[in-house]
Amino acid sequence: MPSITSFNLAHVHMLLNHVPTVGAVVALGLLIVAFVRRDESLKLVGLEVLFAIALLTLPAYMTGVAAFQKVRNQPGVADAAIRLHQDVALYGFTWMEFAGFIGWVALWQARRRGRAAAGMVGAATALTAVALVVMAQAANLGGNIRHPEMGGAVAPAIDSAEYLAAKISYVMVNSPWAWPASETVHFLGLSLSFGVLLAVNLRILGVMKQVPFGDVHRLLPWGMLGFVANLITGMLFFVGQPGQYLDSAPFYWKVVFLMIAGANFLYLTVFKKAWAAELNLADKSMAIVSLFSWLVVLYAGRMLPFIGHAF
Amino acid sequence: MGLLVWLESLPLSVWVHESPSIWAQPTVLTFHTMGMAVLVGASWVLDLRLLGVSRKVPLSAFHWVFRTVAISLIVNLVTGVLLFMARATLWGAAFPFLIKILLVVASAATLLPIRSYVLRNPDQLEVSGQARLLAIASILAWSLAIASGRLLAYTVAG
Repeated sequence: MPSITSFNLAHVHMLLNHVPTVGAVVALGLLIVAFVRRDESLKLVGLEVLFAIALLTLPAYMTGVAAFQKVRNQPGVADAAIRLHQDVALYGFTWMEFAGFIGWVALWQARRRGRAAAGMVGAATALTAVALVVMAQAANLGGNIRHPEMGGAVAPAIDSAEYLAAKISYVMVNSPWAWPASETVHFLGLSLSFGVLLAVNLRILGVMKQVPFGDVHRLLPWGMLGFVANLITGMLFFVGQPGQYLDSAPFYWKVVFLMIAGANFLYLTVFKKAWAAELNLADKSMAIVSLFSWLVVLYAGRMLPFIGHAF
Repeated sequence: MGLLVWLESLPLSVWVHESPSIWAQPTVLTFHTMGMAVLVGASWVLDLRLLGVSRKVPLSAFHWVFRTVAISLIVNLVTGVLLFMARATLWGAAFPFLIKILLVVASAATLLPIRSYVLRNPDQLEVSGQARLLAIASILAWSLAIASGRLLAYTVAG
């Protein structure tokens, strides 16, 4: 039976690796044009694109690590070139997530006040620019891995333990408390996120009908707090022990449904109709999809040691 | 100890512990985790409301929390008992496990005074200082309960 793990992730990376750079250019362009034209609704579009790009940067990074495992022992592939690319990509990922987070805060505020605070949009724009610069560098270094004939910079030969990813991995694997502490935070974060999304989605499904949606909307930053905690700790696990996730079917499903759940989180943040008193079947289906997606994320995550072989 | 040995030797316990089936220990444990997310998540939403988040929502709107908590408590009681039975001699003799159970009981116990406060003040928007303290106690107790439970994998069943 074909399995989700039989996807060639190196190919998926060749597709997804363009998303952070090209996407950041699009988001940055939209935000700059919006500032020049003083177009408030275009700012929101730019921020929404930024959030989506930040989300897709997660599988872009993860498939890259998978591609690394696939090509690392092939002739003509320099280990140092990949490790340098990977490190710069990890920095780029971090900037991109930070930009996406600030962009989300601006969207959340804008939904409440009618317009985004100029300072927040400015901060999101500046962070997107930084993320773009770092990501472009990562992309350039990534190109060198297979196209040294284009004459890119040669990665300096340093001890492989000196790379950022290697350092994080060393601490995660060897420290007696890093892994258990991160797991504890991950569990606290998942409970917080799930509780908030349960409340907001139940409101859409008709529980607490007498309460205006805007009052429930206030809870969303707490859900985001749990999500941020879990993104950080989740990345620590992944960078710490990538091998145990990369050929694990539940991990693939987890990331796929995380994308769906993330898109739904954006919907809950910005969608205007969600504020109406009466919601139709389409909105209610969105709420069901959201709750179902989070349950799949939980299920696949907890099943990692049993269906896959991660712990 | 005899009771623990007997519990562990029941066919159901042996099945949960030893069956290679995905429906045995993996599924029981996964339902225990999902139940935890619903139980603690719903409790925290109410705690946040008592502490002033979504302060325009009347307390009566949160009745769903108690039904949700009751259902997930039952799920976690059943799955928790199954997980205990599967390795009764291990859990029954482990001090960290006792701490976890006490923390879970303490956390769940904070829901009783919170529930009666919410039922007594259905239309209220302002929350008393005492109820806020209860909410803080609830958040902290659940956090410690989750931490102690997660760390069992390292302290007891390593």
